[in-house]
This record gives sequence, C-alpha cells and structure tokens, in this order.
Amino acid sequence: MTADATRIRSLDDPTLFVDTPATIYDAVPPYPPRSEREAEFYHLRDGELLINLGPQHPSTHGVLRVVLKIDGERVVDLDPVLGYLHRGVEKICENGDWHHAISNCDPLEYVASMFSEAMPVLACEKLLDLEVPRRAEYIRVLAWELNRIASHALFVGWLALDLGGLTPILYSFIERDEIVEMLAALTGQRLLFNYLRIGGVNGDLNHEFMSRLGDWMSHAAEQLDNNQKLLNENEIFVRRTKGLGTLDRETALRLCMTGPPLRATGIPYDVRRAHPYSVYPELEFRIPTREEGDSYARYQLHLDEARESIHIIDQVLHQMPDGPVMAQIPRLIRPRPGRAWIAIESPRGQYGCFAISDGSDQPFRLRIRDPSYFNLQAVGVLTPGNLIADTMAIMASLDPIMGGIDK
Amino acid sequence: MAMRDARREPPDRDRQPGATDSQHGQQVEAERDRNATLPAERDRAPERIQMASDQPSHPEGALQAASPSDVAEPIVVENTLWTAASPNAYGGNQPASITHLRELDVEDKSDNARWSGALEIIPTKADYVLDLIRANSLWPLLSGLACCAIEMMSAATSRNDMDRFGMFPFRASPRQADVLIVAGTLTTKMAGPLVRLWEQMPEPKWCVAMGDCTCSGGRYKRSYAVVEGIDRIMPVDVYVPGCPPRPEGLIYGMLKLQQLIIERRGHWPDRQVGPSVPAGV
Ligand code: SF4
Repeated sequence: MTADATRIRSLDDPTLFVDTPATIYDAVPPYPPRSEREAEFYHLRDGELLINLGPQHPSTHGVLRVVLKIDGERVVDLDPVLGYLHRGVEKICENGDWHHAISNCDPLEYVASMFSEAMPVLACEKLLDLEVPRRAEYIRVLAWELNRIASHALFVGWLALDLGGLTPILYSFIERDEIVEMLAALTGQRLLFNYLRIGGVNGDLNHEFMSRLGDWMSHAAEQLDNNQKLLNENEIFVRRTKGLGTLDRETALRLCMTGPPLRATGIPYDVRRAHPYSVYPELEFRIPTREEGDSYARYQLHLDEARESIHIIDQVLHQMPDGPVMAQIPRLIRPRPGRAWIAIESPRGQYGCFAISDGSDQPFRLRIRDPSYFNLQAVGVLTPGNLIADTMAIMASLDPIMGGIDK
Repeated sequence: MAMRDARREPPDRDRQPGATDSQHGQQVEAERDRNATLPAERDRAPERIQMASDQPSHPEGALQAASPSDVAEPIVVENTLWTAASPNAYGGNQPASITHLRELDVEDKSDNARWSGALEIIPTKADYVLDLIRANSLWPLLSGLACCAIEMMSAATSRNDMDRFGMFPFRASPRQADVLIVAGTLTTKMAGPLVRLWEQMPEPKWCVAMGDCTCSGGRYKRSYAVVEGIDRIMPVDVYVPGCPPRPEGLIYGMLKLQQLIIERRGHWPDRQVGPSVPAGV
C-alpha cells in the first residue's frame, strides 16, 4: 500500500468514503522521521525486521498496534501506535450537560465501567460540595468492589489465554458473568451500567440483586481458590511468567504507574488508603503487595486483591445503613466555576479526573487520567530483549484497556 | 473447500489430446467446438501452440489409449430441474456446456463461492447441502474493537456457549474465518485495517454488525472520529443493536444469520455497501 491510500471508497456508491490516515498500512512511515527517536527506530541494522502486532490481534486487548523491531525471535525495540479507538469522549462530554457525561464516560474502561462513570459524578459533587447519603456511598462501594472482582477475573483469564491456555478463561467468565448478571439486576445493564448519579445512585438495592449476591457470596472465595489452583500449579504457566518482565520500583515510579503493576514491585500505593474517598476509611482491608515485580507477581496480586474485595463486600453488607439513596439536588446542575481533581482506585490503578466548570450546566473540560495509559508505557521498558511470544505475556500482565487509553 | 483448490490449479486439458493419437485429438477438438459458446474459448481452440511442455514426456505409445472409444468424454447433464431466482446467482447464468474447471478461467475472477459453472450440471441440489454445512459451521473472527467485544467473548464462553449452535470457537486469523463480527466502535483510523481484514477473509463470508456503534454510530454518532455505521465501508448481513447487546442478543443474531445463509441461496453477491439507516437518524 502506498502513502496515498488515504480514502476508503465504497465499491458501489462513489459518494461514500471514509478518510483514514495515510500510515495505517505501513510499518515504515512514508514521511521523514519526526524525531530522533523515530529516526533511530526506523533505521534497520543487519538482520533486523519490522513487524506489526495488531491492530487486530487477539492479545492486544482491543486495537493497540505495536510495531516490533525484531532480530530473529528477540524483540529489539518497539513502537506503540495508539489512537485506533479514539472516540473523542472528552470532547463529547463538553457538549452535553453533567448528567450526560456519566453515560458518555461509561465506555472508557469498559471492563470496569463502574469506575469510569464515577469520574464526572465525583468531580461534579466536589464542585457542588455535595453531601451524598451514606447508604448511597455504601452501595457505590459495593458496586465498585463487585466490578473490581469481575475485572480481575477477566484479567486472569486473558493472561492465560494470551499464553495459549484456553481453559482458564472459561472459568473466569463463569465468575464474571455471575457478577455482571447480578449488577444487571441492580442497574439494568451488564456492561455499561450508568448507575451512579450526581448525589447518589440510581435505585436502591432490590430483592433479586440481594438474592443473587447472597448466592454468590456463599461460594465466592471457594470459586476464587479453584480458579487459582488451575494456574498456580500449572508448571507451564509458572515457568512462562516467573521472572518475566521484571519491573523495578524506580522505573515504575518514573513511568507514573499505579495499581497492581506498581504494587507488585512492593510499593503499597492504593488511592483507597493514600487519599481516602467515599466510606473506605470506615472499612477494614489490607493493601496486598509483592516484591518480585514480574508477571507472576502481578498475577498473584490480582488474586489477592480479589480476595480483599470479597472481604470488603462482606463488611459493606454488614454495615449497610438505612436511608435515602439520592441527595436532594435540583434537576439542572450548575456547579460553581472552578476546578476539581478527584481520583479513585480502579482495578487498573489510579483513575482520576480533572474537571473545570465555568458555572454553566455543562462541564467546560473533563480530563480523564486513565491508569492503563501509564501502565502500558512499561511495555517499552520490559519487552526489548524478550521473545516475541513473551511480549504477549508482559502486555497481558499489565492489563491495558484500550478504551481508556485512546479515549 | 477442495473444490477451490482444484480451481486454483486446473489440470491441463490441452495436454491430453497430445498424448493420445492425433485423430482422436481432432475429434475431441471438434466436439468441443460444437459445445463451446464462449467466444474467447472458440478463438483459442483452433491454433493450439505446441510448446515443449505440451509434448509427452513418456515414450511414444506407452500410455496410449487402445482405441478412441476408450477415452471417456465428460458427461454433460443440463440443469433443467430448477433455475435460480436471481439472474446473477451461480456465476451469472454461465452456459451449462462448460465441462471443465479450466474453462471457468475466462470468466472474471470474482468468486461467489458457489458450485457454479461446471458443477452446476450436477443435477442435485448440492447448494442446499453446501449451505446447510456452511450455516452450521460458522467460524467467526476473533476481532474485538471495543466494549462490545467483551460481550462477544461472553457469548462464546461457558455461560452462553455459542458452540451449541454450530458457531465454532473464534479464529484469530481472518484467513480461517468466515464471519466477521464487528464488535465495537469503528473509528476512522481503524476503518482501513478493518476493510483489509474483511478483504482477507475468503469467500463465502458474512458480516455481523454488533452494537449501536457499528449499526449507526450509536452514542458516538456525533463524534469527529467515528464512522457512522460500518455499512458505509462493507456489506452487512445482520445488525444486532444494543449498547452493548446482551450475549443472547448476539446469539439470536447469529441464528438469524444461519437462517439467512440457508434461505438466501446464491443471492448474496448482490449485497450492497452503503448506509441502510436513513440519513438523519
Ligand atoms: S455499542 Fe455501546 S458497548 Fe458497543 S462498542 Fe459502542 S459504546 Fe461500546
């Protein structure tokens, strides 16, 4: 394909077309290098080869494209190309009012959208200085932790899938589907919940949700142990992940990484503890950490966190207060002009939002800080020198979600 | 699929008469002249060039037929039992006198994946059987673009288990797949690679648009970066709306696709590219 392949034209109707950037097909960009780094990357030494990983590749978890520079089976260098899922979410949020922003932020982190939809909600509440009813806070924590377990279950399945094992993902999806069906009984949706509201949540706990939750809680820990046994005692899995992609603390901090990849290096940074929000100060939980910083540690850490989440859910159910689930707020919300920064701990790390309000009913700017974006940077540090097949294991263990990265 | 392999490497017909005695060769030639209706074929027939490779490599007489009657002529049975509803179906009404796959080379290369042309003479309803086979072993491509992909995976795994209905596990390579489930928002940057994926898939192939985003742009219709419906760039057979559709919804869509494959015999080369959602929706 040449550089002028910029336009995809419909075969039948010549008036229909889609403009695409010129470089989509080319491993080597047709333009002169824009930076020293690019010039160095696209200069091939003897025996080196450029290959494309993605944008359609089962192990890139979406539409990430990585140009790998390989020498034989070894990856020498790599150049990620982002933007294949850029949907302009932040811009769309500016065009609707604050309530619309909730559902527009939903598909950012589509595996755990209870967290990404909290962004405009919490930011707006901070701008409004709004007191949220305690029952609503508890329900939020309940929904968050359930969603965290669902997301971590998928992580385990995906990691094994990218290493070539099909079985674990079947078990992961059993767990995940149980949880999302439960949340569907609560929110009406399986994936993009659109449940949190400015000033509370949309609807109280209902009977079907509670009975499903009770069923699930009775075997949740056991299910987790079973899923863990599947991989923990699998020699192939352990040998392929142990010692692979070892990250040290300095690098992790330098790359602004948060969440499980950071905690797997031994730094107990968790927003729930470091900058408490909602009712987390009233709950008792530990921040699991690991020292090794490799793929296996990250995998272990996810399981530990899921177990902690079950513990949190248990406490939430016991401490759940009575009362309303929505604060009394006007229908048309006009927060004071100003800026607000909020952050919560999503399954992938610190999910933050910097919001600017100009006093109207629309957000002036919502800037979402997605942890996957920062965690994904580690691929560039960890992959060179490893085999191509190990690139997948490293990438999967960092657990990027392209929806949030490309926004 | 063995059929297509044969078509790619047709056995060399012209070499056969050279190996037999010349008298019989002419006889075959005359026979074919009578049958041939395609102008290209008629022009080519009289002046056969005897290349070195056309000469028999074995000693004279080693494999000769004892008498001309020993060489069997292909049996031509005209299809008088049924006609296709669409004139363009089954290779666009090729004359039934084509008796050899080689002769299909004169038609254009577009492959509508039918047992067209030569094999249309088989007086069975082979297409029914073929479509039944195809419909019951769909191999979707493992290609997720965004959120809907999670529900697509959920449809394929334990709880919903699409395999029950003859939709095989997802293939990772477009060359092994025959259903493209476009699950997720299609951005302009991804449009090129997606069309490329679609073109890499061998015929027969079908496309399922999963989710509002792929049907019409959905919640991102007014975004500057999103293609408003994949039917702008590729033909779509089944639309599954929803944001995201439940896995059951996807399975229902796939069942509809099976029904469509069985019912739409031979018609699907006519599929159009272009928005089927009215403008302004
Ligand atoms: S239709 Fe909804 S769930 Fe599907 S890709 Fe679009 S936004 Fe995501």
